[in-house]
Amino acid sequence: MNKYLLSKKIVVNELSTFYSFVIGLTIGIGIGSIILLAQGQNPVDVFSLMLRLSIGSVKSISSSLNKATPLILAGLGISIINSVKLWNIGAEGQIFMGGIALNFIYISTEITNPNFSILLLLLASFVGGAVCILFPAISKVLFGVNEIITTLLFNYIVIGLTVYLVNGPWKDPNSLNFPAAAYVGKEVYLPTVFGRLSYGFIICFLCTLGVHYLKEKSVFGYELRISGGSALTAIYAGINAKQKAFVAMLIGGGLAGLAGGVELLSQTHRVSTGLSQGFGYTAIIVAAITGMRPFGIFLVGSLFGALTIGGSVIQTMGVSSYIADVIQATTLFGALIAQFFFTYKITKVTEDV
Amino acid sequence: MFDIQLMGLFNATLQAATLLFIAALGELITEKSGILNLGVEGMISVGAVTGFITAVNTGNIFISVLVGVFSAALFSSLHAFVTVVLKQDQTVSGLILTILGLSLSALMGKQYVGKKLPVKIESLVTIKEPTNIIEVLLSQNYIFFLSIILMISTAYMLKKTMFGRRLEAVGEDSRAADSMGLNVNKTQFIATCVGGGFSGLAGVYLTLSYVPYWTDNMTSGRGWIALALVIFGGWKPYRTAVGALLFGFLEALVPRLQTYGFELSPYLVKVTPYAITILILVVLTIYKGGRTGAPSNIGIPFFRESR
Repeated sequence: MNKYLLSKKIVVNELSTFYSFVIGLTIGIGIGSIILLAQGQNPVDVFSLMLRLSIGSVKSISSSLNKATPLILAGLGISIINSVKLWNIGAEGQIFMGGIALNFIYISTEITNPNFSILLLLLASFVGGAVCILFPAISKVLFGVNEIITTLLFNYIVIGLTVYLVNGPWKDPNSLNFPAAAYVGKEVYLPTVFGRLSYGFIICFLCTLGVHYLKEKSVFGYELRISGGSALTAIYAGINAKQKAFVAMLIGGGLAGLAGGVELLSQTHRVSTGLSQGFGYTAIIVAAITGMRPFGIFLVGSLFGALTIGGSVIQTMGVSSYIADVIQATTLFGALIAQFFFTYKITKVTEDV
Repeated sequence: MFDIQLMGLFNATLQAATLLFIAALGELITEKSGILNLGVEGMISVGAVTGFITAVNTGNIFISVLVGVFSAALFSSLHAFVTVVLKQDQTVSGLILTILGLSLSALMGKQYVGKKLPVKIESLVTIKEPTNIIEVLLSQNYIFFLSIILMISTAYMLKKTMFGRRLEAVGEDSRAADSMGLNVNKTQFIATCVGGGFSGLAGVYLTLSYVPYWTDNMTSGRGWIALALVIFGGWKPYRTAVGALLFGFLEALVPRLQTYGFELSPYLVKVTPYAITILILVVLTIYKGGRTGAPSNIGIPFFRESR
């Protein structure tokens, strides 16, 4: 009788995450092509148009990178929280909370220096995101309440708060009944570097470097890894694991809030329910698929930004923009499946009867 | 007049609750086996669109329901394959399942947006304007009564049948279950697909009865509410039903608040169930010493080291 046993490989290829992603992307594009063919479209035409419109010119590259910015920032936050083996499913809510906190500070302060004002507003959005994860963080470290559930539920509370604000107290009378807060003044818009590329992307690049340093090089990052790895080791090493987890959650939530702040100051310029289009959820996947590596998040996030821009412009060809979502999702499933073969080995054993 | 309004509210509560409850009950079965499936939203959407397409093309309700249920179950087997067979992360896989389900169903249903439904799920008794609670109950459609049967049989299945006991054993301690000779992978795979089938039924209820048309993203977060309901109900079918009624009541109440003359903001009323769920979760965790009813092995892939 033949039996198959599963065992973890002792040595896993360093680049396995990258290879898995490439394999996944191939699968994603393959399935995307099949769907396009089924709809009577030529995949080569559609994909070349997507490429041209998402990375074919300075203008389109900058749009793609702007789209990638909130994804990357929120993804970085998720990766910090994951270094203590905790999940943050609430990035979507934290993005909105970042926008709300920013707008709150904007309408309640009078600052004439625009540079200082922008800094203060971005700081407010960071704090907003951190406040949004405060309750899940406290209940996790004090009582051990499952953070996946609490952070997830907070999304609904914050989005409910957003809907309330933009329909009630903050409703802009000039918005022609569209539920949205008033636009922020032009003086606090994030300036552009070149083309349409916002300074938000520079902030996002700096954050990537910062998070890489924090996770891989700093003492704090080392302590985070130990806290997440083994509670006993942390005690022996004199590390207060709960405190580290708490701080990591606040920083992670803050980065997602910053994503909302940057998106508001560079793209939407006002609080509305359109502030995030599922960035918080996509960010979790981007972070997970890269094995929580900051530079990986930066690269895959940029690619997904381009894919989203490409997906939204092919609508003019009569192709549904949902095709981009399908490609993203199948890429990730493909990568997960490929990852299995890099980390496990299957051995066949013959049992004597 | 007041009676008719009140009965209208009761009717809307039952309808909203039925949808949430069926999806939550399916997720409960999946989670009992130790598998967390965050893809409920996507699975409901797949069931909703396939059921709707079949109904428009065949005009047969029975076949449409079956197609909706089985396509969602098939779709959830993707999650089962990735997490049970390949041992990959359940959180990630479930989230991808949501994105894939929503986008695939939007692609499939593209030509069906705005199409009229030739058939509707029959009610037990047709009553135009029910005036008392019994009439409202009787005027519900077959899926409502099916959900009650499912609730009772799931509660019985979990406590009294071999499959239910296996499910619990696997979800609580998969290693011990394995050494007792239970097939952990098989149990978890089946539980995940059953959960998917329930979500599919909820989806069919959505497009063939609750709002009889199809449009993109029409699940509008109900899958996530179903996930919250499982926690609210402490992984118990009857308590989950109570939670579904509460959430359903609030969903039904919100659009009616102003006609009743309340000055409360409907947007804030809408978030109260989530806040209540969080509080219940915290209180349960504190006072029961972590015993919230959650299966101990939830989210942890079962992996037998080679022996």
